[in-house]
Amino acid sequence: MSKLNDPTLRSHSREMRLLCLLIAFTSGLSLLYGIQYYAGGPLRLAVTNEVRDLALSPDGNLVAAGTRDGVIRLWDIAHNWTMHILTGHTGSVTGVAFAPSGATLFSAGHDGKVRLWDIPTALNAGSTGSQLTQEWDAGGVPLNDLALASDGTTLATIGEDGIIRVWDTKTGQVIQSIGPNESTKLAVALNPDGTLVAAGDGENIQIWDARTGEPFQRLEGYWEDEEAQEDWLGHEKKVTALAFSPDGVYLASGSAEGTTLIWDMKQGQLAWDTKGHLGAVSEVVFDASGQYLLSSGRDNMVRRWRVPGGKFAGIFKGHLGSVTGVAAGPDADTILSGGTDGSVRLWETINNRELHLVWTKLGLMPIWGTVFAAWMLGSGLLGILLAWGLWHVRTWGHLGALVLYVVGPLFTVVLPLLETTFYPITWSTRLSIGWPLAVSLVWYIALVVYLRQDTVAITYQAPGATSLAEQLMAARRAQNIRHGLFVAATWLLIFILLFSILRRFGLDVAFMRKWLPFIMGGAGVTMYVSAMAILLATILALIGALGRLSKNPLTNGISGFYVSLIRGTPLLVQIFIWFLALPQIGITLEAKTAGILALGVNYGAYMTEIFRAGIQAIGIGQYEAAQALGMTPGQTFRRIVMPQAFRIVIPPIGNEFIAMMKDSAMVSIITVQELTFRAQKIGRQNFRNLETFLIAAAFYWVLTIVFQFFQGKLETHMARGERR
Amino acid sequence: MVEPMIKVRGLHKYFGPLHVIKGVDLDVMPSEVVVIIGPSGAGKSTFLRCLNFLEEPSAGTVEIDGVEIQAGEPGREHRRHIREIRQKAGMVFQQFNLFPHKTALGNIIEAPITVKKMPREEAIVKAEELLEWVGLLEKRDEYPSRLSGGQQQRVAIARALAMEPKIMLFDEPTSALDPELIGEVVEVMERLAGEGMTMVVVTHEIHFARDVADRAILMDEGVWAEMGPPDEFFTNPQEERTKQFLAHIL
Repeated sequence: MSKLNDPTLRSHSREMRLLCLLIAFTSGLSLLYGIQYYAGGPLRLAVTNEVRDLALSPDGNLVAAGTRDGVIRLWDIAHNWTMHILTGHTGSVTGVAFAPSGATLFSAGHDGKVRLWDIPTALNAGSTGSQLTQEWDAGGVPLNDLALASDGTTLATIGEDGIIRVWDTKTGQVIQSIGPNESTKLAVALNPDGTLVAAGDGENIQIWDARTGEPFQRLEGYWEDEEAQEDWLGHEKKVTALAFSPDGVYLASGSAEGTTLIWDMKQGQLAWDTKGHLGAVSEVVFDASGQYLLSSGRDNMVRRWRVPGGKFAGIFKGHLGSVTGVAAGPDADTILSGGTDGSVRLWETINNRELHLVWTKLGLMPIWGTVFAAWMLGSGLLGILLAWGLWHVRTWGHLGALVLYVVGPLFTVVLPLLETTFYPITWSTRLSIGWPLAVSLVWYIALVVYLRQDTVAITYQAPGATSLAEQLMAARRAQNIRHGLFVAATWLLIFILLFSILRRFGLDVAFMRKWLPFIMGGAGVTMYVSAMAILLATILALIGALGRLSKNPLTNGISGFYVSLIRGTPLLVQIFIWFLALPQIGITLEAKTAGILALGVNYGAYMTEIFRAGIQAIGIGQYEAAQALGMTPGQTFRRIVMPQAFRIVIPPIGNEFIAMMKDSAMVSIITVQELTFRAQKIGRQNFRNLETFLIAAAFYWVLTIVFQFFQGKLETHMARGERR
Repeated sequence: MVEPMIKVRGLHKYFGPLHVIKGVDLDVMPSEVVVIIGPSGAGKSTFLRCLNFLEEPSAGTVEIDGVEIQAGEPGREHRRHIREIRQKAGMVFQQFNLFPHKTALGNIIEAPITVKKMPREEAIVKAEELLEWVGLLEKRDEYPSRLSGGQQQRVAIARALAMEPKIMLFDEPTSALDPELIGEVVEVMERLAGEGMTMVVVTHEIHFARDVADRAILMDEGVWAEMGPPDEFFTNPQEERTKQFLAHIL
């Protein structure tokens, strides 16, 4: 108490000055980091480099990866995956391809240049000659893809301007310019002899003669059932990846909705369609034999398909982000892939096993570097404002600092730190890339512990208060807010931890996103079944309660029998009786009707007892007062007893409603296509039960939280006669 | 000649083997105020509740404003008569028994609307008059839980009066009140008596009995022990039982 009245403590106490100093110091450091980061300074969280395209040299000894920082990385497989670096591009390198001789590497990038690199020079560390041999200008327009004919004579690029350029690799001249084709500028492919060039045109594919630029062929999807417009065979969204088979007989295409199609070039028709990827397909490529098609996707996976037939032949999981490049491996049964997680991986097709992994650069996923920098800049600016508030003894300064340093680091520091636990790296490496996060986390924890101290907190609770009572009230309020804040932060932390742990065990977020609409489509049925069953249960419970209270042996007996029978048998058995047993005596019910009846009748029995207790809780005086006024028993019940009984039973009835919403999941066993049924169906089909049931559980949870909120509102409203 | 407003003949009441009221007669003339006092367990409240059939008498007849009911004649006609009597007899309870889910106004308009089928607007106008009469117009929208005991009892009186009863029955209306709240209720009852209402009051308020009542009755062991004008009753009781009782409470 005395502390509150002590003016020296209420402003500029030693604790407070220290706190202001701490926050100002923290903000200053954060700002420095943020500003230099956005100015391109050297201090940045170690992030890896996204791989944009991948190629294997013809002799199978070199892997080339174009990356986002404009560097091409070359790994010498034979020499223990030694890395060589080719620098020259100033933007993302989006396409790389080896010449058939293996001596030249072609690359295209967002700087609008095609570059040719001399591989022997690049591999020879002692060489003084230039690695870069030629540089072709594509008009400064960012290039999105590059394709090289198998014979190495012709090269094609597609740019952001939608123009396909066909280059003669000997002269470096553009021999044909096609387009612009605005609808798809993502992928281009050349047939083996370089005579045909293919690019997407929306969800269709257009093929031109590479020499003349004349349209040659158009590949389009079609309705299997033309009249009903059902079963579309073709892409539904724009084409994102293209590749010709080594013999030029087939063209493979991938699209934004995740389908990969194989087209027969001779007949100009769709040969096989495959559906697998849950996100856009980033690249398709045939292996050397032409027997298999490889595809990579934004769902972090690589898939393999048998070419004749388009049958699924393997899935390769391990990338932590989108897979952006795929290529046949050095041996017949290996695959290479690279992704936005900055890793290049070698896979064995026989066991779908990862054989080798190299990083472009060791670090976190690039997104975390961006998040961390944004946090540093934002918290730095906010922190200065809060330090000002603290200096002037404002409560918002104290609470704001708590919110900032409790909630902020959860997403910007804790989450990335947890993410590093997925990376297949050692703990010492983990520490070497995550140390700035770890240090800042320790610092924030110390800051929050200091902020929480009563001697610090008490100073800010009531700067403007004049009386002791006001000060104590303000102190209590601030304490409540602080308490709520830490409870909320604990919840958030649990969510983040759970999410991280589940991801560690392969929680497939892309899969959840894909099937969410379908599963949630069952929510309507769930809510319909619950609502109808609740309505039925309420009516039955009201009648049942009147029967239970009646002195008439017939009505009393009937309702007593009803309650005893229903409460004495399992709900599951009752559901089966309504749906499976009743048909035997000639009553066949639709599944949904049977479900509603089973739930309604079951909950009606339980609610009967609640209604009965509620009615019995009304004192005799109320009946007497109503009777003395000349009201009939019916009027007394409707006007006096029911409204009061209703108020008494709202909390227990609300609990029953919530329980019923959850128990409505049980009707899924009699084929009612509600939420749980759909979750189960999709989960079983895809062996992804964790994902689908998490969606279902989340829905029920949210539904009950919403319902509890409205129940609380109703209770307050109904209790208005009782408030004191 | 003026007919009595209330006429009770040979009223008996048993609770199981317990003989609570042992054959009493009573005539109450219009505008007369009768106070019944007596030790607890004497049957005062039971007698009062028998008048509007909240307790069904075991034997005897009750006639109120010309409606006569013979005890122990079940049936539709009987029940109709009971409702008629109840509309003629307003009752005020010891525990107020206001409807907690309705406001002061809501309590008052409830019976006129549901029982008398009075239009709502008319009932509200009348209820506001009554609230003003008991001095609680400013509390019209308060719920009973926010009213003091005295205020609740005054609303309860207004609620009974809203049915325009011919007689008013008061069952220990001040017994549940804090001493400083008794006055406001007694004052309302006095005004009611002054306006010529026929009243039967079971009470321990000797002052009210002495100042307002036309007749006082001592009830003991289910019968009238003594009956007379209050002046005589309180100053010069005839019966030994009355003397003892008065000595006890005065």
